[in-house]
Amino acid sequence: MSIVISALQYLGYILIFPGFLFCFLVGLLLSGIDRKLVAKMQKRVGPPVLQPFYDFFKLCGKETIVPAAASKTVFLMAPLVGLAALVVLQLFIPIFQFTAFSGMADIIVILYLLLIPALAQILGGAASGSPYAGVGLSREMVTIISCELPLVLVLLAVAKTVGSATGEGLSFSFASIAAYQAANGSLILRLSMIPAAIAMLMVIPGETGNHPFDAAEAETEICEGMLAEYSGAPLGIFKLSHAIKMLTLTSLFVALFLGGIGSGIAQLVALMGLTGPAANGLTVLLGAIVTVLLCIVLTVVSISFVHAVTARLKIEQIFKFYWTVVSGLALISLVLAWYGL
Amino acid sequence: MSTALYQHFPILAVMVLFLGAFLIVIFGNVKTLRHLIALLSVTVSLGLLIALVKPVMLEGEIIAYWMGARATAGGYAIGIAMEVDALSLFFGLLVATAVFVSCVYSIQYMSHDDNVGQYYTLFLMLAGGVMGLVLSGDLFNMFIMVEILTFAAVALTAFRNTAKGALEAAFKYLVVGCIGSTCILTGTVMLYAQAHTLNFAQLSALLPGNMNTATVVAFALLYIGFSTKAFIVPFHPLAADAHGAAPASISVLISGVLTKSGLYAIIRLSYFLFQTMELGTMQFLLVFMGSMSMFICVTMALAQHDFKRLLAFHSISQIGYVLTAVGLCTAMGVSSGLYHAMNHTLFKGLLFLAAGAVLHQTGTTDLDKLGGLSKKMPWTTAFFLVGAFSISGIPPFNGFASKWMVYQSIYLKAVESGNIGFLFATIIALVTSVLTLASFVKVSQSVFFGRLPKEYENVTEVPWGMRLAMCLFAVLCVVTGLFPDLVTRYLTQPAADAVFNASGYINAMMGSGYAESVMSVPAMAPAVTYVEVGVWQPVSWLLILVITLLAITIVAIGGQYDRVSESVSAPMDSKYDLFFGGEESVYSQVGGEDLFWGFKHNWRGYFSFMHKLHSGIVNDYSLWAVVALALVTLYMLIVF
Amino acid sequence: MFKKLIAESTAKSPWLFHINAGSCNGCDIELVSVLTPRYDAERLGFKLAGSPRHADIVVVTGPVTAQSLPRVLRAISQVPEPRCIVTMGSCPQSGNVFRGSYSVVGPLSKYVHVDVDVAGCAPKPQAVIDGLALATKILKEKREAK
Repeated sequence: MSIVISALQYLGYILIFPGFLFCFLVGLLLSGIDRKLVAKMQKRVGPPVLQPFYDFFKLCGKETIVPAAASKTVFLMAPLVGLAALVVLQLFIPIFQFTAFSGMADIIVILYLLLIPALAQILGGAASGSPYAGVGLSREMVTIISCELPLVLVLLAVAKTVGSATGEGLSFSFASIAAYQAANGSLILRLSMIPAAIAMLMVIPGETGNHPFDAAEAETEICEGMLAEYSGAPLGIFKLSHAIKMLTLTSLFVALFLGGIGSGIAQLVALMGLTGPAANGLTVLLGAIVTVLLCIVLTVVSISFVHAVTARLKIEQIFKFYWTVVSGLALISLVLAWYGL
Repeated sequence: MSTALYQHFPILAVMVLFLGAFLIVIFGNVKTLRHLIALLSVTVSLGLLIALVKPVMLEGEIIAYWMGARATAGGYAIGIAMEVDALSLFFGLLVATAVFVSCVYSIQYMSHDDNVGQYYTLFLMLAGGVMGLVLSGDLFNMFIMVEILTFAAVALTAFRNTAKGALEAAFKYLVVGCIGSTCILTGTVMLYAQAHTLNFAQLSALLPGNMNTATVVAFALLYIGFSTKAFIVPFHPLAADAHGAAPASISVLISGVLTKSGLYAIIRLSYFLFQTMELGTMQFLLVFMGSMSMFICVTMALAQHDFKRLLAFHSISQIGYVLTAVGLCTAMGVSSGLYHAMNHTLFKGLLFLAAGAVLHQTGTTDLDKLGGLSKKMPWTTAFFLVGAFSISGIPPFNGFASKWMVYQSIYLKAVESGNIGFLFATIIALVTSVLTLASFVKVSQSVFFGRLPKEYENVTEVPWGMRLAMCLFAVLCVVTGLFPDLVTRYLTQPAADAVFNASGYINAMMGSGYAESVMSVPAMAPAVTYVEVGVWQPVSWLLILVITLLAITIVAIGGQYDRVSESVSAPMDSKYDLFFGGEESVYSQVGGEDLFWGFKHNWRGYFSFMHKLHSGIVNDYSLWAVVALALVTLYMLIVF
Repeated sequence: MFKKLIAESTAKSPWLFHINAGSCNGCDIELVSVLTPRYDAERLGFKLAGSPRHADIVVVTGPVTAQSLPRVLRAISQVPEPRCIVTMGSCPQSGNVFRGSYSVVGPLSKYVHVDVDVAGCAPKPQAVIDGLALATKILKEKREAK
């Protein structure tokens, strides 16, 4: 009986919260807020906030054309695998103290899971056979390479800071990072972590492929690159994955740098005099709400503002920017963390 | 000495391969007979080694075998000895597996070539040479096996001597290989002059306390000699040429087996013979060379436009991971390094077989000419993707499991030792991984996906025998990726324990108590910290992924995902043509070499420098070998 | 419910693909002006798509020259169903001042079914938005008819 209950619980994690349904709703919401805000910044009325939902459902109703030159299986399966990997990724990212699933050294797992959605898009584009996709995937891969170095440096810096503070030497585990921040306040409050946090903010638009780092999906020059041959539901799923990726990266930022807020929530719940499962449930709920709010703020800061004020960079500029400026910032943090600051 | 039956297995495993080679010389003209002999001898060899798993791996026994039962006389090991501990057996199993799969593959792959009898003779000589090397307990025997395998490999590289560059590649390999062999021989001679024995166990007991200039130079010579066999960094261009020219089944052996033999010898030398690994300077040397191999070769691979040359560079890059991890001198490091070595044999073998399948069906491996083969060769594509995901470390394939451990062990070492060099090694390892992914994206785009050129419209899938061989490797890749805890517990951990058990190794051969009596301090394993970093749990992860995928698929199919319109009529409807700005689509493919222009543009200084260095002239490569030898000798003379 | 949701969404999220069939560029500029802050067609969900595979509404400008005709038809055929074809400006409807030229093979309606015509040389942005809004209604009807 208890097995059935825990199986249902995990199924609930996967399908509803913080899995599929949560990702779907919040991801598309973030994307809608981003579009609306960019429009406002350009003095436009802008689309309704629910516009990404309309786009998604419309695409579900469209015909799916498989080009004759495409290899059908990969072409159709790639979007599904990419989306599944993103949802799994979201399951690993803790919402303050709450994690649906946790493993050892899950930071490295996250690093590689983040590659899968991009890889799915690349393989799907390659399988379509379009030359636009060829150009697009080349740019996408270079963008991934660009973002990887700063991301690695940021994660190593966090692992070292938390590890040396807790006496483990290093910690690649989200659980201990969350626990450390709950006890000692958010990592962003440490002086040495501020450059890393800035670097991470800059990595977010690059990883999601948003302006100005969207050379891979430039619709005006290469017909949206890898997506050029996609239509209908698979295209909708790629658009959905793109939206969820915003949620994933912003909530990763929250988990890495803003985890201290979790202790405030726990205290708040304690003040209300609740105990037992009701308190746990309320903590998770409040945590989720706060995370979503923080994700919205981070999306606005790192994606919408940047989108509104910049023009698209060329691919070699993207690479240069990430491997010099952003990596430099992250490296400063890493070196500071290395010497125990 | 009690002789259980299995004590004869190591020598039999070697001899059966050589016996097969000689039998094929005699009966090689009959097609079925030569296939039968070759398959039989590799199967028996593999079976004999698998039978050894229980006593050696699980029960920790070290088999010391004296040929003709000539044991020690007067405290000196005179006879020819074989000594099999878990480390030897681990590498032996890798060799036997790769040889077996390669042999299965060869049957159909080589069916269009002439003189296939000679091919199998050399093939089995190569296999026997490597097997003898890893199971040998004697430095001079090791040298003989090195010679056998080098010459067999050279001959096999040039086997398709009508192909462009085959003879040239073989010549380069011969020259630099001979430099390596000479170094090994000189080193062996110098050690014999100093210690009056060639037996590993006795050397391991006598040398560590009595290091002088001659033995240090001998160490440097042996180190460089075996580095040429493992193709680590200054010797990597040879591997590229050799792989480019050799038949794919031989590439599997060169990358999966030959480089491992060099690696095995380096581990044997530095952990056993000289027992220098607890020195930070020696760790630095190995980690430095490993990181260099990792990074230089992966960037070189990005610039390649030949499928097999690209794989060759990746092969060295992955060896860099192994060398770095092994050089850490922690239990975790050695265990993860050996795990990666095993995975490297599997996935790189798979990738070479896929490259061979492409070559077999289309006649070329030029990335700029190929494309769109996934529609014609779906099985090969699927197997290639398994290999590519494995080598790029995409979970849940095996590359991820071992890289995951490698990163942790390097970073842990960095944090524990406080040495910032290890920190940079961690960063290099992580970045190398994504660059590896990039170059396999390039291969999949330019060979298997993208547009199908007109001339390959009639390409078909490879015959079943070749698919079977690829399938074997692919299954092994997935299995070792899914059950890393079992692999660690039963294979890599015993081997890693054996690495730190030098005194056990000595005593098994020379009689118990010998190590303690000869060495003033008993040969202790270097200070080892068994930090439980844990093993990544792919099965539960995979379960989550599968459930998620299933849920999404059900939702997607409910929402019309499967209502797909496809082209059915033979004269193509323009609806199913690719969008080409309104034009009728023509063949257009982004060339493999230009694919990552955005990356290479920023590194153009580095790439043009590298391009100049890799001149392809054998004189230059010989010079590199000499310079590397000089530098390593100097370094060792300074630090010891 | 799901079907209704999709039909409703179809009306609210029309993506445009613009084909120039030999236009003088006047209409093309007017179409872009529709998306500028002043008129902002994005508030109705309009978006310019880069590839015909993503589009719902194909906007054709220009008198359809002999050279452009096969390209126009090919691109239109690559748009997934349900789709809507809108001609913009007088040219694709009548040939306008180019009528009678040896190179003009229009009007477009000779070759494909045209759903909405927006007349004018060039049409005002208000008229374009009105025409596009009409096209979204037709799209929804087409979706519901399926």
